[in-house]
Amino acid sequence: MNKISRRAMLAGTAGLMTAPRLSSAQGVKPRLTVISQWSAGSDGAAITALGKKFEEKGGTWQHSPVPGFTTEMMNKLRAQIMAGDPPACSQLKGPEIAAWSKIAATVNLDALVAAAGYEKVVAPDLARLHKPGGKWISLPLQIYSTNMLFLSKRAMDKAKADRIPVTWAEFNALAEKMKAGGVTYPIANGGTRPDDGQKFEAALAGISPAAYRAGIMALDEKALKGPEVKAAFAQVRSIADWMDPNTAAQHYSINLPRFVAGDMGMMIQGGWAQGVLLNAGFKLDDFIIAPGPSDNGKPVFLLNADAFIFWQRKEPDLQAGQTLMAELVMDPVIQTMYSQITGSIPVRTDVDLSGAGWSDGQRRTAAALKEAVAANQAVLSLAHNMAQENGMTAAMIDVFTEYVKNKAITPDQAVARLSNAVEGAR
Amino acid sequence: MPAAARNGQRRLALDQLRRLPEFLIIWVPLLLSAGHLIAFALWTIWVSFTPSTLVPVSGWVGLRNYTAMMATRNWQIAFDNLLLFGCGFVLLSVLTGLGLAILLDQRIRGENVLRSIFLYPLAVSFVVTGTVWSWLLNPGIGIQKLVNGLGWTSFRFDWLIDREMAIWTIVIAAVWQSSGFAMALFLAGLRSVDADLIKAAQIDGAGPVRMYRRVILPALWPITVTVVVIQLQFAITTFDLVRALTGGGPGIATQLPALVVYDFMFQRGLLARGAAAAVLMLLILLAVLLPYAAWRYLQRRQSAHA
Repeated sequence: MNKISRRAMLAGTAGLMTAPRLSSAQGVKPRLTVISQWSAGSDGAAITALGKKFEEKGGTWQHSPVPGFTTEMMNKLRAQIMAGDPPACSQLKGPEIAAWSKIAATVNLDALVAAAGYEKVVAPDLARLHKPGGKWISLPLQIYSTNMLFLSKRAMDKAKADRIPVTWAEFNALAEKMKAGGVTYPIANGGTRPDDGQKFEAALAGISPAAYRAGIMALDEKALKGPEVKAAFAQVRSIADWMDPNTAAQHYSINLPRFVAGDMGMMIQGGWAQGVLLNAGFKLDDFIIAPGPSDNGKPVFLLNADAFIFWQRKEPDLQAGQTLMAELVMDPVIQTMYSQITGSIPVRTDVDLSGAGWSDGQRRTAAALKEAVAANQAVLSLAHNMAQENGMTAAMIDVFTEYVKNKAITPDQAVARLSNAVEGAR
Repeated sequence: MPAAARNGQRRLALDQLRRLPEFLIIWVPLLLSAGHLIAFALWTIWVSFTPSTLVPVSGWVGLRNYTAMMATRNWQIAFDNLLLFGCGFVLLSVLTGLGLAILLDQRIRGENVLRSIFLYPLAVSFVVTGTVWSWLLNPGIGIQKLVNGLGWTSFRFDWLIDREMAIWTIVIAAVWQSSGFAMALFLAGLRSVDADLIKAAQIDGAGPVRMYRRVILPALWPITVTVVVIQLQFAITTFDLVRALTGGGPGIATQLPALVVYDFMFQRGLLARGAAAAVLMLLILLAVLLPYAAWRYLQRRQSAHA
């Protein structure tokens, strides 16, 4: 008895000692801690679907969403980084990737990106944002254009119009026609800061992508005070005059039912509004999606890309999880699944959008991106934190949001205020 | 040593031992929370002199964060709003509170029910107050629409979306919420006025108006100061009400210092700038509280000598 039990114990110990080695030889069970702002609606559904795929590949998915604006999520990220316990992976985008990579160690993804051949299929402007210092530390997941034009079918009927406006002049003419045809407010809009910022960036980039690049992206002083910026402010004033003045600080989605009903006519919104509309129970034939107005006739694309950044962790299971996650994010099948839920377009330029799961709006968006890149008219969105870091962005949006709400400010005054705000935040 | 003295000493030691829990219960939490408060205040002051942005870093930039902060439109608007809101809110809530208290003091029936009703808003969170008032004041769905629907179509009440008047919507909501609190304090004050004084005034033939003006209200003076100081410090730190009611808008027309601090620290990732704004807020608060403390001190000395 005694002998056997001792032998059994020995065998047991030996088993215990070899067990972890065996499992590490086969690879530990990958685990991933993720934080993002995507908690509900189509965004929440999409990341949940991504998590399911992660689990199907044998991983453990630990997602902690922080609802609200992106900055809300950043507060949690900041707290975790300062506590020395960053998530293995978090949402982050635009120039913030470079800024945040300076305060904590990130994972070098070069080998994985090279193995997947990913660099060849990503727009160069976008790739640059995700590899500060020349190394891939983050991966873009989906692309939106922030200046898509949504047209309400019923409002178009009221205006007896069937042509999608291409330039700002045509846009303005259509708005007047809608007004005359009995559409109460030709523009559907929310009252939040990004909404107001979007109106300005759509106006300026549509009037002159070159002036947008120089003034907003490069903060060139001459361009900031240039005639294009003034013209953009004048266009924003027209847009503001067509909006419901009672929106106060509401979210744009509050107005979606009125937009679909034809009580409001057009919406300049990001492509994500498609996902929100569908999620709210409306049909694809209630509205038309087209690229935002562009005075030179070629589409202008205001890029907004969501991305994941990978923070350095020592735990082997988290490291395995990061590898698995990176492979998933770059996978065309996963990008297709994700974009079909949210209404975005895939980052990969080689995904075929002719299939049944895609809307005409998404096909138009993808085509617009291709054309805009070819014409060098794909620029980075300011209102959605792609063009500047948060401090600069907020200082500029202060000017836009005051201008939209205060009709006493003239375009000339607005130009002066904008360059002052940029100077102050520099 | 005589036995009695030894006994006395032992009793003293026992007595102190028995009172130990009391000391622990009072002093430990007090020291902890004071340390907490002071440590974080000192930390914020330190951060406001560093070049910190996303996370706190060491370094010294002198007063640069303060000058930069005070040069922003956000701070200037917030400061002007604080003056408007602080004065308007304190004045109106004191007047409404006092008025309600005097009316309730007329030995009326149902006083308890009425008092509860007026105090009730205090039990509601500011976020709830802000949200409800944002619906009531929204011209498209609230009071204006109701009155228009009743037939008075030219009626306008669109302060919420008027950037000049929007700050007054916050005053309205804040007064609604906290005048009940002022009322409760005033009512207690009215009840504690010396009954002999009132009787003496009655015998001298004072009418009710004269009685309030000459006898009762002067006796309420210390309570008024307390109410004003409590309401002022509330006004200076207001945050949630504005967040829920106007979101700082239209544009940035209803910014208040606390919103600016949060905005710069946590939305813009400019930690040091936000810390500078927080320290400025602390200074404003001290400008209110220090004179009050001095006044209390003088008053206590006077009454000690009297």
